[in-house]
Order: sequence, then structure tokens, then C-alpha cells
Amino acid sequence: MDFLNTILFPFMWVVSWIMRAFHDLFTTLGMDAANGWTWTLSIVALVLVIRAALIPVFVKQIKAQRGMQALQPDLRKLQQKYKGKTDQLSRQAMTQEQMALYKKHGTNPFSACLPMLIQMPFFFALFQVLSQASGASDEGRGIGALSAQDIQQFDASTIFGAPLSASLLHGGGGDNQVAVIVLSIIMILAMTASQFITQKQIMSKNMSEEALASPFMRQQQMMLYILPLVFGIGGINFPIGVLIYWTTTNLWTMGQQFLVIRRMPTPGSPAAKALAERRAKKGLPMVPLLGEKKSEEPAVEAPAATKVQRPQPQRKNRKRK
Amino acid sequence: MSTTSHSPVQPPAAASAAHFLWALPQNSLIGLLKAYRKVVSPVYGQVCRFFPSCSAYALEAVTVHGAAKGTWLAVRRLSRCHPWNDGGVDHVPLSPYYERLLRENPAGTPRIIVLNHPEIPADDEGRPSGPRS
Repeated sequence: MDFLNTILFPFMWVVSWIMRAFHDLFTTLGMDAANGWTWTLSIVALVLVIRAALIPVFVKQIKAQRGMQALQPDLRKLQQKYKGKTDQLSRQAMTQEQMALYKKHGTNPFSACLPMLIQMPFFFALFQVLSQASGASDEGRGIGALSAQDIQQFDASTIFGAPLSASLLHGGGGDNQVAVIVLSIIMILAMTASQFITQKQIMSKNMSEEALASPFMRQQQMMLYILPLVFGIGGINFPIGVLIYWTTTNLWTMGQQFLVIRRMPTPGSPAAKALAERRAKKGLPMVPLLGEKKSEEPAVEAPAATKVQRPQPQRKNRKRK
Repeated sequence: MSTTSHSPVQPPAAASAAHFLWALPQNSLIGLLKAYRKVVSPVYGQVCRFFPSCSAYALEAVTVHGAAKGTWLAVRRLSRCHPWNDGGVDHVPLSPYYERLLRENPAGTPRIIVLNHPEIPADDEGRPSGPRS
């Protein structure tokens, strides 16, 4: 735990500093410093800052996913080429060609989880800050950039009567534990619902027919069932403050996905057709979509392939001599 | 296919003791890497963003370049494995000395070199995958 705290310390500091800055701002604007809603808004503002900072990473991830979908036909061709060749050398050759293919499309299945990984330390840091609040308040110490006074104020603040540092399973709600339970359940449902809507939007509107038939699809469907479980288990364990963070970040994801589907849909998906129709109605030409360019420029692909494959013939020639 | 000897050329018997000591670090590393690839790698399946995978790269690097430079190359490869790298095909740099040894004794080519440099068959359209120059 100490080891974890050492790693998380800088993140905890950043998270608590942003929260305090917003809390100060809202107080200056005339909100009551000790009110739970002031602290809730600070947490929401923290989410907005983190998610806004992550937009470039998200765009990179979309590109990677688009790349994956765009290379499905090539990948199938490759599988066809090596069909029935199960000896180790053919497998190696296939793996090498596959890797070159990923590189060509600027994507790699082993690098798609980046945005989630980046959010992780911030989420854990916030979790640490909020879950340590009760203890720190009793001991009269501060956490990160939050002073002892801030922490005590935070620990005592409530929304709808539920303390921000209380959780469904571990209590802390005192006489108002019912409010904690109701709020937790509402937020678990909100997270699950936003997750479902996000996923459904992606699958029904933003995937090309190629992608819908791929193994990538199965992975997406798994998420549909696993994530609500994660929300449920987390939701009953985490304090209200963490749930506010989590729900807000989920809603952000949903809104972001909605915008992506509307403004820059996957090429070949129903959403792309809808966008083309909307633009045609307004008399505007279709704009190139994100992830579309690469598959249309064979001139660029050739030198890339040359670079990757060049050592190949040399090695073979030498062996034969 | 020779799998026990890392070097395609066997030294004369007189020098073999010295050679054994000299090659000890390299051979121990090769043994460790082979054990890792035999025991640990299959558990994970293919998780590497590169070809050859990091353990295959390390094994070839130590085989071709020796313990010191091979380890250095392997460490550099590992440091390239981060989320901002797109991966792809990334071969061990050539060693002119080792290439000469291979030419003198092609039969002694270690298996890892064969595996890491598979012959890419031409595809259906008869178009070879790699340009021949």
C-alpha cells in the first residue's frame, strides 16, 4: 500500500490541487464553501479538465480502431494465403507479415487500451483522496494540496443528505445511510445506462459491415456485459464522491461518442452515409473522414513496405551461399 | 539443425576450454532465454507489438552479438515497447562477423535465426511480399 501511495502521490497532488482550485473558484463566485454541491461541482470540473486533456489520446485511439477496421480485408487475404500452413516457419512468416500490415495502417491490436491506462492513475488517485478523507479528517491532516480544513469541510459535506465520503457497503452515512444507498444505486444505473447507450450507438451506427463481421466485434460485445458488472461491484464499494467522478466521466464518454458519430463517423458505416446525406442536403461536398485516407494512398504504402521488408532477401541470399 | 551450439564454427579442441569460459555468459543467457521462451512465453500467447517478439529478439541478439552487446540491444528493444510505439517488424541489427560465420557454415544456423527471418512466400497474385533488390 505504501508502494502504491508513493507512485500515486504526484497524481493525488494534481487531482487534489485541481479540486481545490475549482472549489476556491466556486466559493469566490458566491457558493457556500462547506456545501456538498460546491464539492460535487469541483469533482465534475476535475473530470472535465482530465477528459479535455485526454481528447488527443482519444483521437489517436479512434485512428487506431479505424485502422484495425480498414485492414480487415487485408488481414483476411493474409489468413487465406497461409491457410493450411501450420508449420512453425509459416506461422512466423505470417506473424511477420501481420505486424508489417499493422504498422502500415498505423495501428496495433496491442496498443488500443492506452486511453484507459492513462486515466487509471488519476482515477486511483482520486479514489485515494476521497477514501482517505474520513480518516484524514479525524486525524486533522491534509491530503495533497487540500489542507486539513478543506478535508474536514469535504468530509462533513453532503448532497441530498448523503456524505460525499460515505459508501453503500462501508457505511459512513450515519442516519442518512438510506440516502447513500439510493444515490449509489442511481449512479450505478446511470453509468450502466450510459455505457449501454454508448456501445449501442457504436455498434448500430458507427461500424462498417466488414467490422461487424470481425472478431473485434466479439470483444465489443463482451464489454457490454463486463462493464455493468464492474460498475455494480465498484458502485457499492466506492464513496459517493468517487461515483460522482465515475458517472461524470461515463456521461462525457457518451457525449464524446455522440459527437464523433455525428461529425466524423467510421468510413463505410451507416453514420457515414447519414453524414454524407446531411451534407448533400445542404449542398456541401463530403469531407474526408478520419482513418479514410490511408487506404486510398497506395503510393505512400509502397515505400513503407520496402523499409520494413528490406532485410528479408539479404538474409536469405547469405544463407544459400 | 543445431540447437545446442550458438556458433556455427566449432573451435579446435585445444582452445575449447578457453572458449567454454569465454562463451559462458553468452551460453548461460541463451539457456535462460530458451527456458523462458519454452516455459513462460506460451502462457501469455502473442502479446508483443513487434516481430520478432522481445524474447525472440533477445535470443537472436545474444546469439549473434554476444552477451554484452546482445543484452544492450535487448534492453533497448524492451524500452521501445511503450504505448506510443506502433510496433511492427523490428529485426536485430546485422553483425558482419556473425554473417561471415554463417556463410562458412550454413548448416550451423541457429534455429532462432531461421525462425526470426522466415521466408515470406509470394501471395496469390504472384506478387512477392518483399521487394527483391
